Amino acid sequence: MIEVTQETKSDWCVVAISGRADAEAADQLESSLRAAIDTHAKVAANLADVDYISSAGLRAIIQAARAAQAKHATFVVCSLTPSVKKVFDMSGMHHIMRIQGGLPC
Amino acid sequence: MLTMLEEVVLLAVDEKTGQLRSTREFGTAYALVGAVFFDLALAKKIDTDTETIHIIDTGSTGNATLDRVLANMAKHPKLTTVRAWIEELFLQRDDLEGEALASLIKQGILRHEVSKLLWIIDVERFPMVNNQHQQLAKLRLARAIVTDEIPDTRDIMLVSIADQCGLLPYVLSASELSNRRDRIQMLSNLETISRKVTDAILNLDATVRHAMTKVV
Repeated sequence: MIEVTQETKSDWCVVAISGRADAEAADQLESSLRAAIDTHAKVAANLADVDYISSAGLRAIIQAARAAQAKHATFVVCSLTPSVKKVFDMSGMHHIMRIQGGLPC
Repeated sequence: MLTMLEEVVLLAVDEKTGQLRSTREFGTAYALVGAVFFDLALAKKIDTDTETIHIIDTGSTGNATLDRVLANMAKHPKLTTVRAWIEELFLQRDDLEGEALASLIKQGILRHEVSKLLWIIDVERFPMVNNQHQQLAKLRLARAIVTDEIPDTRDIMLVSIADQCGLLPYVLSASELSNRRDRIQMLSNLETISRKVTDAILNLDATVRHAMTKVV
Protein backbone atom coordinates (compact mmCIF):
# COMPACT_ATOMS: atom_id res chain seq x y z
CA MET A 1 0.00 0.00 0.00
CA ILE A 2 1.14 3.55 -0.70
CA GLU A 3 -0.07 6.97 0.26
CA VAL A 4 0.19 9.77 -2.25
CA THR A 5 0.03 13.50 -1.60
CA GLN A 6 0.48 16.32 -4.08
CA GLU A 7 1.56 19.92 -3.59
CA THR A 8 2.76 22.75 -5.80
CA LYS A 9 6.09 24.43 -4.99
CA SER A 10 7.30 27.24 -7.25
CA ASP A 11 6.39 25.90 -10.69
CA TRP A 12 6.84 22.26 -9.68
CA CYS A 13 4.16 19.73 -8.81
CA VAL A 14 5.65 17.49 -6.12
CA VAL A 15 4.04 14.08 -5.79
CA ALA A 16 5.12 12.57 -2.48
CA ILE A 17 4.78 8.81 -2.17
CA SER A 18 5.11 6.76 0.99
CA GLY A 19 4.97 3.03 1.65
CA ARG A 20 5.74 -0.05 -0.46
CA ALA A 21 5.76 0.51 -4.22
CA ASP A 22 4.91 -3.05 -5.25
CA ALA A 23 2.43 -4.75 -7.59
CA GLU A 24 -0.47 -3.93 -5.30
CA ALA A 25 0.40 -0.23 -5.38
CA ALA A 26 1.64 0.03 -8.99
CA ASP A 27 -1.64 1.15 -10.58
CA GLN A 28 -2.16 3.86 -7.97
CA LEU A 29 1.44 5.00 -8.32
CA GLU A 30 1.24 5.25 -12.10
CA SER A 31 -2.16 6.96 -12.17
CA SER A 32 -1.12 9.51 -9.51
CA LEU A 33 2.01 10.44 -11.44
CA ARG A 34 0.18 10.53 -14.76
CA ALA A 35 -2.51 12.78 -13.33
CA ALA A 36 0.17 15.22 -12.17
CA ILE A 37 1.94 15.06 -15.55
CA ASP A 38 -1.35 15.71 -17.36
CA THR A 39 -1.82 18.99 -15.52
CA HIS A 40 1.71 20.28 -14.86
CA ALA A 41 4.79 21.01 -16.97
CA LYS A 42 7.21 20.06 -14.17
CA VAL A 43 6.61 17.05 -11.92
CA ALA A 44 8.85 15.67 -9.17
CA ALA A 45 8.19 12.23 -7.71
CA ASN A 46 9.42 12.38 -4.13
CA LEU A 47 10.28 8.84 -3.01
CA ALA A 48 11.84 9.82 0.34
CA ASP A 49 9.29 7.70 2.21
CA VAL A 50 9.27 4.69 -0.11
CA ASP A 51 11.01 1.86 1.71
CA TYR A 52 10.61 -0.84 -0.96
CA ILE A 53 10.15 -0.91 -4.71
CA SER A 54 9.50 -3.99 -6.85
CA SER A 55 9.66 -4.49 -10.62
CA ALA A 56 5.98 -3.53 -10.86
CA GLY A 57 6.73 -0.28 -9.02
CA LEU A 58 9.64 0.47 -11.36
CA ARG A 59 7.42 -0.18 -14.37
CA ALA A 60 4.84 2.29 -13.02
CA ILE A 61 7.56 4.97 -12.80
CA ILE A 62 8.87 4.12 -16.28
CA GLN A 63 5.35 4.49 -17.68
CA ALA A 64 5.00 7.87 -15.96
CA ALA A 65 8.38 9.01 -17.35
CA ARG A 66 7.23 7.85 -20.79
CA ALA A 67 4.02 9.89 -20.46
CA ALA A 68 6.05 12.95 -19.43
CA GLN A 69 8.39 12.53 -22.41
CA ALA A 70 5.43 12.27 -24.80
CA LYS A 71 3.98 15.48 -23.34
CA HIS A 72 7.38 17.26 -23.28
CA ALA A 73 6.97 17.70 -19.53
CA THR A 74 9.89 17.66 -17.10
CA PHE A 75 9.82 14.62 -14.81
CA VAL A 76 12.27 14.08 -11.97
CA VAL A 77 12.50 11.26 -9.44
CA CYS A 78 14.12 12.41 -6.21
CA SER A 79 15.13 11.64 -2.64
CA LEU A 80 15.56 7.90 -3.01
CA THR A 81 16.10 5.88 0.15
CA PRO A 82 19.24 3.67 0.10
CA SER A 83 17.26 0.47 -0.54
CA VAL A 84 15.28 2.03 -3.40
CA LYS A 85 18.40 3.69 -4.82
CA LYS A 86 20.07 0.28 -4.96
CA VAL A 87 17.21 -1.05 -7.11
CA PHE A 88 17.30 2.01 -9.38
CA ASP A 89 21.08 1.70 -9.78
CA MET A 90 20.91 -2.01 -10.53
CA SER A 91 18.27 -1.41 -13.22
CA GLY A 92 20.07 1.57 -14.73
CA MET A 93 16.99 3.78 -14.42
CA HIS A 94 19.20 6.88 -14.66
CA HIS A 95 19.67 6.09 -18.36
CA ILE A 96 16.03 6.85 -19.14
CA MET A 97 15.00 9.43 -16.55
CA ARG A 98 16.34 12.23 -14.38
CA ILE A 99 17.10 11.14 -10.82
CA GLN A 100 18.43 13.50 -8.15
CA GLY A 101 19.22 13.50 -4.46
CA GLY A 102 16.84 16.20 -3.28
CA LEU A 103 13.75 18.06 -4.42
CA PRO A 104 14.29 20.37 -7.39
CA CYS A 105 12.41 23.20 -5.69
CA MET B 1 -3.56 -9.18 -27.55
CA LEU B 2 -0.89 -11.85 -27.94
CA THR B 3 1.09 -12.99 -24.93
CA MET B 4 4.79 -12.15 -24.75
CA LEU B 5 5.54 -15.85 -25.31
CA GLU B 6 3.36 -15.91 -28.45
CA GLU B 7 4.93 -12.71 -29.79
CA VAL B 8 8.48 -14.01 -29.40
CA VAL B 9 7.65 -17.36 -31.01
CA LEU B 10 5.87 -15.53 -33.83
CA LEU B 11 8.98 -13.40 -34.38
CA ALA B 12 10.94 -16.65 -34.80
CA VAL B 13 8.80 -17.71 -37.77
CA ASP B 14 10.37 -16.91 -41.14
CA GLU B 15 7.56 -15.10 -42.94
CA LYS B 16 8.76 -16.31 -46.37
CA THR B 17 9.26 -20.00 -45.64
CA GLY B 18 7.21 -20.60 -42.48
CA GLN B 19 10.21 -22.27 -40.88
CA LEU B 20 11.25 -21.59 -37.31
CA ARG B 21 14.49 -19.71 -36.86
CA SER B 22 16.32 -21.36 -34.03
CA THR B 23 19.67 -19.73 -33.53
CA ARG B 24 20.41 -20.39 -29.87
CA GLU B 25 18.65 -23.51 -28.67
CA PHE B 26 19.36 -23.35 -24.94
CA GLY B 27 19.44 -19.56 -24.82
CA THR B 28 16.02 -19.53 -26.47
CA ALA B 29 14.68 -22.06 -23.96
CA TYR B 30 15.75 -19.80 -21.09
CA ALA B 31 14.39 -16.71 -22.82
CA LEU B 32 10.98 -18.35 -23.36
CA VAL B 33 10.80 -19.05 -19.62
CA GLY B 34 11.54 -15.34 -19.15
CA ALA B 35 8.69 -14.50 -21.55
CA VAL B 36 6.27 -16.56 -19.43
CA PHE B 37 7.37 -14.69 -16.31
CA PHE B 38 6.84 -11.39 -18.11
CA ASP B 39 3.35 -12.54 -19.11
CA LEU B 40 2.58 -13.44 -15.50
CA ALA B 41 3.93 -10.07 -14.34
CA LEU B 42 1.84 -8.19 -16.93
CA ALA B 43 -1.22 -10.19 -15.79
CA LYS B 44 -0.41 -9.06 -12.22
CA LYS B 45 0.02 -12.63 -11.02
CA ILE B 46 3.66 -12.34 -9.93
CA ASP B 47 6.02 -9.57 -8.93
CA THR B 48 9.81 -9.55 -8.60
CA ASP B 49 12.47 -7.50 -6.90
CA THR B 50 16.21 -7.68 -7.42
CA GLU B 51 16.38 -11.36 -6.47
CA THR B 52 13.05 -12.83 -5.42
CA ILE B 53 9.80 -13.67 -7.13
CA HIS B 54 6.44 -13.38 -5.38
CA ILE B 55 3.10 -14.85 -6.33
CA ILE B 56 0.43 -12.22 -5.75
CA ASP B 57 -2.62 -13.89 -7.28
CA THR B 58 -3.17 -17.55 -8.19
CA GLY B 59 -6.40 -16.88 -10.11
CA SER B 60 -6.67 -17.92 -13.75
CA THR B 61 -5.09 -15.75 -16.46
CA GLY B 62 -7.29 -17.34 -19.14
CA ASN B 63 -4.19 -18.82 -20.80
CA ALA B 64 -3.50 -22.53 -20.22
CA THR B 65 0.31 -22.25 -20.36
CA LEU B 66 0.47 -19.35 -17.92
CA ASP B 67 -2.03 -20.99 -15.58
CA ARG B 68 -0.02 -24.22 -15.54
CA VAL B 69 3.23 -22.40 -14.71
CA LEU B 70 1.48 -20.33 -12.04
CA ALA B 71 -0.06 -23.43 -10.43
CA ASN B 72 3.35 -25.10 -10.50
CA MET B 73 4.92 -22.10 -8.77
CA ALA B 74 2.23 -22.05 -6.10
CA LYS B 75 3.06 -25.68 -5.26
CA HIS B 76 6.70 -24.82 -4.50
CA PRO B 77 6.70 -21.96 -1.98
CA LYS B 78 10.28 -22.72 -0.93
CA LEU B 79 11.58 -21.81 -4.38
CA THR B 80 11.73 -18.03 -4.05
CA THR B 81 14.39 -16.56 -6.32
CA VAL B 82 13.91 -15.53 -9.93
CA ARG B 83 17.04 -17.41 -10.93
CA ALA B 84 15.93 -20.64 -9.22
CA TRP B 85 12.57 -20.52 -11.01
CA ILE B 86 14.20 -19.88 -14.38
CA GLU B 87 16.41 -22.95 -13.86
CA GLU B 88 13.48 -25.04 -12.56
CA LEU B 89 11.25 -24.31 -15.55
CA PHE B 90 14.18 -24.76 -17.94
CA LEU B 91 14.85 -28.22 -16.49
CA GLN B 92 11.18 -29.21 -16.76
CA ARG B 93 11.60 -28.78 -20.54
CA ASP B 94 7.97 -27.92 -21.14
CA ASP B 95 7.29 -27.35 -24.82
CA LEU B 96 6.60 -23.62 -24.42
CA GLU B 97 7.40 -23.02 -28.10
CA GLY B 98 4.97 -25.76 -29.20
CA GLU B 99 2.21 -24.44 -26.96
CA ALA B 100 2.65 -20.91 -28.32
CA LEU B 101 2.61 -22.21 -31.91
CA ALA B 102 -0.61 -24.15 -31.21
CA SER B 103 -2.20 -21.00 -29.81
CA LEU B 104 -1.09 -18.92 -32.82
CA ILE B 105 -2.61 -21.52 -35.16
CA LYS B 106 -5.85 -21.53 -33.15
CA GLN B 107 -5.99 -17.72 -33.41
CA GLY B 108 -5.68 -17.92 -37.21
CA ILE B 109 -2.26 -16.23 -37.35
CA LEU B 110 -0.28 -19.28 -38.51
CA ARG B 111 -1.13 -22.58 -40.14
CA HIS B 112 0.62 -25.92 -39.71
CA GLU B 113 2.13 -27.84 -42.61
CA VAL B 114 4.11 -31.06 -42.56
CA SER B 115 6.12 -32.20 -45.57
CA LYS B 116 8.59 -35.02 -46.09
CA LEU B 117 12.32 -34.62 -46.55
CA LEU B 118 13.80 -37.51 -48.55
CA TRP B 119 10.39 -39.27 -48.22
CA ILE B 120 11.15 -40.07 -44.57
CA ILE B 121 11.78 -37.09 -42.31
CA ASP B 122 8.84 -34.91 -41.33
CA VAL B 123 9.53 -31.21 -41.84
CA GLU B 124 7.19 -28.85 -40.03
CA ARG B 125 6.44 -25.37 -41.29
CA PHE B 126 4.19 -22.62 -39.96
CA PRO B 127 3.28 -20.29 -42.84
CA MET B 128 1.69 -16.96 -41.97
CA VAL B 129 -2.04 -16.65 -42.46
CA ASN B 130 -2.04 -13.10 -41.08
CA ASN B 131 1.33 -11.32 -40.87
CA GLN B 132 0.05 -8.13 -39.23
CA HIS B 133 0.96 -9.28 -35.71
CA GLN B 134 4.54 -10.08 -36.69
CA GLN B 135 4.94 -6.82 -38.63
CA LEU B 136 3.61 -4.84 -35.69
CA ALA B 137 5.94 -6.59 -33.25
CA LYS B 138 8.90 -5.86 -35.56
CA LEU B 139 7.89 -2.20 -35.81
CA ARG B 140 7.62 -1.91 -32.02
CA LEU B 141 11.03 -3.53 -31.58
CA ALA B 142 12.65 -1.28 -34.19
CA ARG B 143 11.14 1.84 -32.65
CA ALA B 144 12.19 0.85 -29.13
CA ILE B 145 15.77 0.26 -30.27
CA VAL B 146 16.39 2.92 -32.91
CA THR B 147 14.77 5.92 -31.19
CA ASP B 148 15.72 7.42 -27.83
CA GLU B 149 12.12 7.47 -26.63
CA ILE B 150 11.23 5.64 -23.41
CA PRO B 151 9.47 2.50 -24.71
CA ASP B 152 6.32 1.00 -23.28
CA THR B 153 7.25 -1.53 -20.58
CA ARG B 154 5.89 -4.36 -22.73
CA ASP B 155 8.25 -3.34 -25.55
CA ILE B 156 11.19 -3.18 -23.13
CA MET B 157 10.43 -6.80 -22.22
CA LEU B 158 10.11 -7.78 -25.89
CA VAL B 159 13.49 -6.24 -26.77
CA SER B 160 15.26 -8.24 -24.06
CA ILE B 161 13.60 -11.56 -24.91
CA ALA B 162 14.05 -11.13 -28.68
CA ASP B 163 17.73 -10.31 -28.11
CA GLN B 164 18.27 -13.36 -25.91
CA CYS B 165 16.60 -15.52 -28.58
CA GLY B 166 18.91 -14.07 -31.25
CA LEU B 167 15.95 -12.67 -33.21
CA LEU B 168 16.96 -9.01 -33.54
CA PRO B 169 18.99 -9.60 -36.76
CA TYR B 170 15.63 -10.39 -38.42
CA VAL B 171 14.32 -6.98 -37.38
CA LEU B 172 17.23 -4.59 -37.91
CA SER B 173 20.37 -4.58 -40.06
CA ALA B 174 23.74 -5.59 -38.64
CA SER B 175 24.95 -1.99 -38.68
CA GLU B 176 21.82 -0.72 -36.93
CA LEU B 177 22.21 -3.39 -34.25
CA SER B 178 25.88 -2.63 -33.85
CA ASN B 179 25.19 1.10 -33.49
CA ARG B 180 22.42 0.48 -30.94
CA ARG B 181 24.00 -2.36 -28.92
CA ASP B 182 24.35 -0.11 -25.84
CA ARG B 183 20.69 0.86 -26.08
CA ILE B 184 19.63 -2.81 -26.33
CA GLN B 185 21.71 -3.69 -23.27
CA MET B 186 20.39 -0.69 -21.37
CA LEU B 187 16.76 -1.67 -22.09
CA SER B 188 17.40 -5.34 -21.26
CA ASN B 189 19.00 -4.38 -17.95
CA LEU B 190 15.89 -2.52 -16.75
CA GLU B 191 14.04 -5.73 -15.86
CA THR B 192 15.11 -8.18 -13.14
CA ILE B 193 13.73 -11.12 -15.14
CA SER B 194 15.88 -10.17 -18.15
CA ARG B 195 18.98 -9.80 -16.02
CA LYS B 196 18.45 -13.22 -14.47
CA VAL B 197 17.77 -14.89 -17.84
CA THR B 198 21.01 -13.36 -19.13
CA ASP B 199 22.87 -14.68 -16.06
CA ALA B 200 21.43 -18.17 -16.67
CA ILE B 201 22.47 -18.11 -20.34
CA LEU B 202 25.98 -16.87 -19.50
CA ASN B 203 26.32 -19.56 -16.83
CA LEU B 204 25.21 -22.22 -19.30
CA ASP B 205 27.67 -20.94 -21.92
CA ALA B 206 30.48 -21.04 -19.35
CA THR B 207 29.50 -24.58 -18.32
CA VAL B 208 29.46 -25.75 -21.94
CA ARG B 209 32.83 -24.09 -22.61
CA HIS B 210 34.28 -25.75 -19.51
CA ALA B 211 32.94 -29.16 -20.60
CA MET B 212 34.31 -28.68 -24.12
CA THR B 213 37.73 -27.76 -22.73
CA LYS B 214 37.78 -30.96 -20.68
CA VAL B 215 36.84 -33.03 -23.73
CA VAL B 216 39.58 -31.45 -25.84
